Amino acid sequence: MANHSTSHPTHVQHHFVDSDQQFDTAKLGMWVFLVNEILFFGGLFCAYIVYRAWYPELFQMAALELNTFWGAVNTVVLIGSSLTVAMAIRSAQKNQMKGLKINLLITIALAVVFMVIKGFEYAHKFELGIFPGDFYTYEGLDHPQANVFFGIYYMLTGVHALHVLIGIGLIFWIYLRARKGEFNSEYYTPVEITGLYWHLVDLIWIFLFPLLYLIE
Amino acid sequence: MATAEVSPASTGTKKTFKVKRYIPSENPKKTFFTEERGLWAWLTTVDHKKIGLMYLGSVTFFFLLGGILALLLRTELLTPAQTFIEADTYNQFFTLHGAIMVFFVLVPSIPAALGNFVLPMQLGAKDVAFPRLNLASLYIYIIGAIFTFIALASNGLDTGWTFYTPYSTESTSSVIWVTMGVFILGFSSILTGTNFIATIHKLRAPGITWSKLPLNIWALYATSIMQVLATPVLAITLLLLTMERFLGIGIFDPSLGGDPVLFQHFFWFYSHPAVYIMIVPGFGIISEVITTFSKKHIFGYWAIALSSLAIAFIGFLVWGHHMFTSGQSAVATSVFSFLTFLVGIPTGIKILNWVATLYKGSIEMKTPMVYVFVFLFLFSIGGFTGIMLGALSADIHLHDTYYVVAHFHYVMMGGTLIALLAGLHYWWPKMTGKMYNEFQAKIGAALIFIGFNMTFLPQFIMGSQGMPRRYYNYIDQFTIFHQTSTIGSYILGVGFLLIAYYLAKSLMSGERAGSNPWGSRGLEWQSTSPPDLHNFDHTPVVINGPYDYHKPMEEFQLGLANAHDEKH
Amino acid sequence: MSEHNHEHHVSTAGQLWAVATALFILTIITVVVAKFISIPPPFDVITAISIALVKAFLVAAFFMNLYWDTKFNTILLFMAVAFFILMISITLLDTMYRNDVVPSF
Repeated sequence: MANHSTSHPTHVQHHFVDSDQQFDTAKLGMWVFLVNEILFFGGLFCAYIVYRAWYPELFQMAALELNTFWGAVNTVVLIGSSLTVAMAIRSAQKNQMKGLKINLLITIALAVVFMVIKGFEYAHKFELGIFPGDFYTYEGLDHPQANVFFGIYYMLTGVHALHVLIGIGLIFWIYLRARKGEFNSEYYTPVEITGLYWHLVDLIWIFLFPLLYLIE
Repeated sequence: MATAEVSPASTGTKKTFKVKRYIPSENPKKTFFTEERGLWAWLTTVDHKKIGLMYLGSVTFFFLLGGILALLLRTELLTPAQTFIEADTYNQFFTLHGAIMVFFVLVPSIPAALGNFVLPMQLGAKDVAFPRLNLASLYIYIIGAIFTFIALASNGLDTGWTFYTPYSTESTSSVIWVTMGVFILGFSSILTGTNFIATIHKLRAPGITWSKLPLNIWALYATSIMQVLATPVLAITLLLLTMERFLGIGIFDPSLGGDPVLFQHFFWFYSHPAVYIMIVPGFGIISEVITTFSKKHIFGYWAIALSSLAIAFIGFLVWGHHMFTSGQSAVATSVFSFLTFLVGIPTGIKILNWVATLYKGSIEMKTPMVYVFVFLFLFSIGGFTGIMLGALSADIHLHDTYYVVAHFHYVMMGGTLIALLAGLHYWWPKMTGKMYNEFQAKIGAALIFIGFNMTFLPQFIMGSQGMPRRYYNYIDQFTIFHQTSTIGSYILGVGFLLIAYYLAKSLMSGERAGSNPWGSRGLEWQSTSPPDLHNFDHTPVVINGPYDYHKPMEEFQLGLANAHDEKH
Repeated sequence: MSEHNHEHHVSTAGQLWAVATALFILTIITVVVAKFISIPPPFDVITAISIALVKAFLVAAFFMNLYWDTKFNTILLFMAVAFFILMISITLLDTMYRNDVVPSF
């Protein structure tokens, strides 16, 4: 904790001793935030599990309304985007700025694909009258709590989609900073912690997919 | 010039440093008040001390608001029938009193206001790990407050601070504004918690090992962990409630096939740990103050440090004791009742260790110490009545009566708020560089002690006789208890006004406080009062613990002798 | 603490592709198992969740670098999962043992 040091690299903030301390601290902070995220989704998963334990037959019937094929495609898309984010970090670590920018752009593209497919799935449900909450008019599911299942479905996928949107914004911001040449192998902390966030979004979907689409 | 072998937090391996003593100036020219002056500099500052003081101001404002509501409620309860406000207004007042006091005052009070100021100084750091997030948390708090004011200005809120469904899905008051306000406020709490955890792990000065952490830091660490684990669940609960009102998604609404008791599970999964988020930082302050004014090493350092973490953990296992009469299954009820008793163990460990610290100490009855004794007395009553409420059969009788009201006021006000006052009086000279009038401060403490007991002891009695909480009218036999309680609350109000008066006066014309007026060994007292913009004008090095009153003073106030030579 | 001034871990492109390929294959397996092989409940759920857990492990350990990272970050992840399980199991203790599923008032 040298107070009056003169040899600080410009990216190190004044209250850190060195670059490594700043990097480790940022990463620790991000992990603490991810703990938050897990418990935030945890509440929704808890509602899912409670209702599934009460009405297993409802969840089996309702899973048939969801399109497994497009769900699986979306899983592959998100895993692919996780790969490209990891590649982006690797590029930054190896000082390959072009690779960094290309990988970030592919990630954004894959995230957009995910959102488009999600949009089509929602649109299809709306056509059938499967709206969230009070607006639910679908007759095809013979169960008194069918609206509650779709309440949980829309909350889980909706909150997840919101995280994807925020992720797109963050990665775009990282891309803009990369274009300005702010990152190099010495300093890529924002790339790393945005990557952590994006992997978590992927992790959540890895559980959402089998829970919503596959259990029948 | 001497050397010391210590390990810096950033590397972990032991290293030899050249150290020398830095005696802080008793009359500093440069402080964080004199540098970066002006309104704009304050509003955009990333300095943890300024942010802490701005939090202190905001919390005080909300405490005033919540306090006025409380006095209005008590005034209404002077007579069995209507005294001066309508029943609907009464419902809104008790709801807002609860919501404001819990979410806007108690949760942020000690960590965000005092903790923000003191934590980096106790660690010998220049700032918290993420200074900009720290400022963001303050503004998020203010945005949350604005949402709540919008609710106040439109339809108010009458659901009680717990927002229980199904009433909260039907009420015509502004439930969405308040829930969104509290949702936003949660982020402020999360950011503070995240910041503290990262700071404690990564920014400790050389020599501050985990066994030399001040107990206040241990308490804030336990609090931060709870904030991080519990607050997101509140966020999702409030989001679901908002969606329930907007769209009627049906998860909590029995008329749509949902389960209202599930809402209570979600809500108390946050709100029970939240009780410990409020009280555990208070424990930290008590540990600091009691050693300083006993001039003695704390008794049972590890017992107190780890019991904070134990409380944090057990606090997550007991939320169902709020739901004994809610239609919860008998199995869960019995388990929750048993687990609830467990919380008494780590809390009891703390109380006994504090009392043991006093034994053979040279006790100095300054105002902060007076508040410690008030705390020990009131909090013990609050704790013991909590054990009674945890017992199933007793709770069925006492649930939703004034007994519960008295219990949590003894814990929250007699515990947290008294600890906050102890901390405020303890660190006031450090924060402002001024000393308050000791005599007036003691009168204030006496008024608060008398007023508090007069307000809430009668509530135990009428509660056990069956007076339900939140009722607008009551039968004649309770009149004497209610009236005593109301008069007590006025005395409390006078006590707080007196505190505000002499603290404000000390700012104008208080005596200069030295760098270490209490003779403490804590690291925060080894800087000037008020501190420098970067807390210390050297890098502190610590070889003795914060409670080592048996070690000579020469082994304190150390810092790196020559910062330039000590880089790796 | 075990932080240090060592070089940050850099995964090779081959490692990252191997992890992603494993994730793709596991995705296919979980769909095939669910759609074409009928496993009696509750083992269908157990299979699906187990595969998801393996995938989650791969992402956390190798994409999120926990395998090479300081242990405390792993502890944080486990803490989050532990408290999530705690929340569910205690809530189920109520919801699974009620007389009426949804109490009527």
